[in-house]
Amino acid sequence: MNRRTAACCLTALVLLLAVTATALSLGEVAMSPGTALRALFGFGQGGDVLVVREFRAPRVLAALIAGAALAVSGQLLQRLFRNPLASPDVIGVTGGASFGAVLLLALGASQLLVPLAALGGGLAAAGLLGAFAWRSRAAVGRLVLVGLAVQAGLAAAVNLMIVRFPAELASSALQWTTGSLYGRTWTEIQVGGAAVAVLLVAVLLLDRRVAVLDLGDESAGGLGLRPDRARLQLLLLSIALASLAAALSGPVGFVALAVPHLVRLLAGPPTPGTVLLSALTGALLLLGADVVVLHLLPVQGLPVGAATATLGAPWLLVLMIRQTRSAR
Amino acid sequence: MELPATAAPARRSPAARQTLLLGLGICLLLVCVALSLALGSRAVPLSTVVDALLGHHAGSGSDAQVVTGLRLPRTVLGLVVGAALGVAGAVAQGVTRNPLASPTTLGVNAGASFAVVTAIYALQLTRPVEYVWFAVAGAGLAGLAAQAMARRAGELDPTRLALGGTVLTAVLASWTSALMLLRRRTLDEARFWLAGSLDGRGLEVLTPVWPLLLVGLVLAVAVAPALNALALGEESAQALGVPVARIRTAAALAVVLLAAGAVAIAGPIAFVGLAAPHLVRLLLGGDQRWLVPGCAVAGPVLLLAADVLGRLVARPSELEVGIVTAFLGAPLLAVLARRAAR
Repeated sequence: MNRRTAACCLTALVLLLAVTATALSLGEVAMSPGTALRALFGFGQGGDVLVVREFRAPRVLAALIAGAALAVSGQLLQRLFRNPLASPDVIGVTGGASFGAVLLLALGASQLLVPLAALGGGLAAAGLLGAFAWRSRAAVGRLVLVGLAVQAGLAAAVNLMIVRFPAELASSALQWTTGSLYGRTWTEIQVGGAAVAVLLVAVLLLDRRVAVLDLGDESAGGLGLRPDRARLQLLLLSIALASLAAALSGPVGFVALAVPHLVRLLAGPPTPGTVLLSALTGALLLLGADVVVLHLLPVQGLPVGAATATLGAPWLLVLMIRQTRSAR
Repeated sequence: MELPATAAPARRSPAARQTLLLGLGICLLLVCVALSLALGSRAVPLSTVVDALLGHHAGSGSDAQVVTGLRLPRTVLGLVVGAALGVAGAVAQGVTRNPLASPTTLGVNAGASFAVVTAIYALQLTRPVEYVWFAVAGAGLAGLAAQAMARRAGELDPTRLALGGTVLTAVLASWTSALMLLRRRTLDEARFWLAGSLDGRGLEVLTPVWPLLLVGLVLAVAVAPALNALALGEESAQALGVPVARIRTAAALAVVLLAAGAVAIAGPIAFVGLAAPHLVRLLLGGDQRWLVPGCAVAGPVLLLAADVLGRLVARPSELEVGIVTAFLGAPLLAVLARRAAR
């Protein structure tokens, strides 16, 4: 990790702690950020502990976990495909997750099953893509095209259900497909968090292979790496991360697309610390957006996905413009 | 940073073969037009269709009315929208040199959708004809905004054009969803327009739109040879005397005009603009001078076929064409992508 990346990581971490404390302290029962943090670990007044642990912490943690997972997923995909537009949308994961969740809503099943359906849908779509398009060598271009096709078909199915549903159901389906952190349970956080943590460690361990793959298949082979296998492993990791994120937060847009660009503009070309910085930035963006949606806006019930893009886009644009100036 | 799928015209097949394929495409298009006039919740014999179009009222009067009053405008709009989307897709992929680019990625569809949904939310509009102006304005503004973001030292950077459009799409699409969630009536009204449909618009929606489409088409044809040169790389193009910056601006403008016109007529129909160039490139090769006319034929074929199918599968109701194009186009694109790489 170079010094610039380390400095960015540290800044992001400090900001993340501040936003987390703020998010835990805001709501009907007001308390100071310090009190909220102490209550999270079980210290302080019983009422505060209950409010923080039962109502606020699951939502905040879901935002952190999903944000980190989405950002790392996008980062891996953009480097694997060497395409700055690559994101979980492009390979069908988002479409599959939305389809699974909306189908379950249509069948009138319990809301509790929706995250499972989203996870299943995302993985199934990726499986479909793999079965159809994975043929080792130089398969990347084809993979993207087939992924777009899978995504388009599934998105149309979701669209069809939204058009045909009664307005009530259409509204909750739309809410879910735009991304929502409402009503997460501790079980979901624990399972999802553990899975994402394991996957992030795997990404960190495999991260050097991405850099080797960047050198081209022949050089990678010369360095003792089997390019096809490495690429498949990284792709699977990325798909699993995006599916887990979709299960926790719905298919929140923009985080996976934008965070890799933000990170590159802030910290320069990828280094070993980039994965960490991506995870921190993604978590910061999603949690920040959720705080805005929940506490700062006068209207209630907006999906968090509406805020991630609104918050993230100007930041990205300013960085793009500044980079242009310095390139002149 | 981009994939090489729109690279130089690699397999240059003889012009005779390309002409033949294009001719076959036009025949297929005529078949689609005939089907679009004849089929629907009520099938009308082709002879009656011909009589109705020629102004004879030999067949039953109401059949003739269905053909001239409902299906003829719908078919004409399908032709126009399909051609505009196809050509816009060809130019978009050519200028950004990114096979994922389409009118959708340049922010145009999201701009139109946001403008229309805002109009429905704030002004409580209820008829597609009333949406047209908002759609044109929204699409145009979004397209220009994406281009402004992509300027780098005064020149249009293709990678940033695609990225800027995608960023803009993400923002506008999320605002559109938010507006629909804020008021139930907006959701109820807008979701049908957002699905993309040729139904329920008269030919009068063409009035504000046709000049945009015409200018867009002329630009698309004009920049085709220069885009071929650009596919060889910026430096080679400059060496060949191509004014790179001006060509990129003209091409991006063509995409915005064509896509704005299409979305204003039919709502945001995804996928035709993405899939048509890929289909045509597989058949005719990557030469932009063949790609543009090829897409002008393939776009309407895809759209009309989807529209007819949407009328047949859900009789007596129908499926919105935007939903059918995705359902049809997705497996088609998947199969073709698989074939091409073999």
